[in-house]
Amino acid sequence: MAELDDIIHQPLRLKIMAALNALPVSAGLEFSRLKKLTGATDGNLGAHIETLAKAGYVQVDKAFVGKKPQTTVTATATGRGAFARHVATLQEIIAGKQV
Amino acid sequence: MIDSKQATDALADIDDTVRRLRQSLIYRFTSTIMLMWGVLVFAGNISGWFWPRYGLYFWIAVYVLATAGLFAISARNYAQSRIRTFDRRYILSFLFIIAFGIFCCVLGQFTGRQQSTFWPVYIMLFYMLAGVWFGTAFIVIGAAIIALTLIGYVYIPGMPFLLWMAVVNGGGLFVGGLWMRRS
Repeated sequence: MAELDDIIHQPLRLKIMAALNALPVSAGLEFSRLKKLTGATDGNLGAHIETLAKAGYVQVDKAFVGKKPQTTVTATATGRGAFARHVATLQEIIAGKQV
Repeated sequence: MIDSKQATDALADIDDTVRRLRQSLIYRFTSTIMLMWGVLVFAGNISGWFWPRYGLYFWIAVYVLATAGLFAISARNYAQSRIRTFDRRYILSFLFIIAFGIFCCVLGQFTGRQQSTFWPVYIMLFYMLAGVWFGTAFIVIGAAIIALTLIGYVYIPGMPFLLWMAVVNGGGLFVGGLWMRRS
């Protein structure tokens, strides 16, 4: 029986993973865009991205664009796999295969 | 373990996030194109006002620059996001739209003033159709430019109409692009 992924299941982390997973492989989202998309505060979003990064689900890249620092977050292959399994488990629960 | 209702809510959250992401990516790409068109349309109308005899040449130049710009923006977007936004289907659709517009102008034997009105209204119709699928910003921008264009056609006689079109069409696209970028 498949189990829900505790790391992904948290609502904000679920949104982060949903957005990153919808992008082509190796494509990432800037921190500011993720913030706008999820409606989270800087601190909250940063903390949840760190949790995902520690689990190996996302990769965080920091670079300078012109003089402005830019943080880009990308879903890793491990993260995409975990997200797909999490969604499959949710669908099983809805279908009544899991109680 | 969560129940079926919570699982449904979680999947709805995922769908909503993906929908908003797609809209945001479309807005970002389109806003750059609108800024470019805004500047070119403004320049085309102003040039036509200064040198009316060469108006056709200015508009040919505008379309050549716009086509090159579309390819450049698309290539830049692909390099940044790995998302392909401009392929053969878009080019073909664009050509069909232009061909039908030319057909209407020839069949209707439009005057220069009528063409200056027809093209923005015709193109903005497609913006509004895009709005039905991709986000209401397209509908607002399209409807505003159509309304202002028609007001100019009815109330502004002679060459000042080109100045009006430079502001409402060129300026409208530019402001619309900025607004879309912030949305």
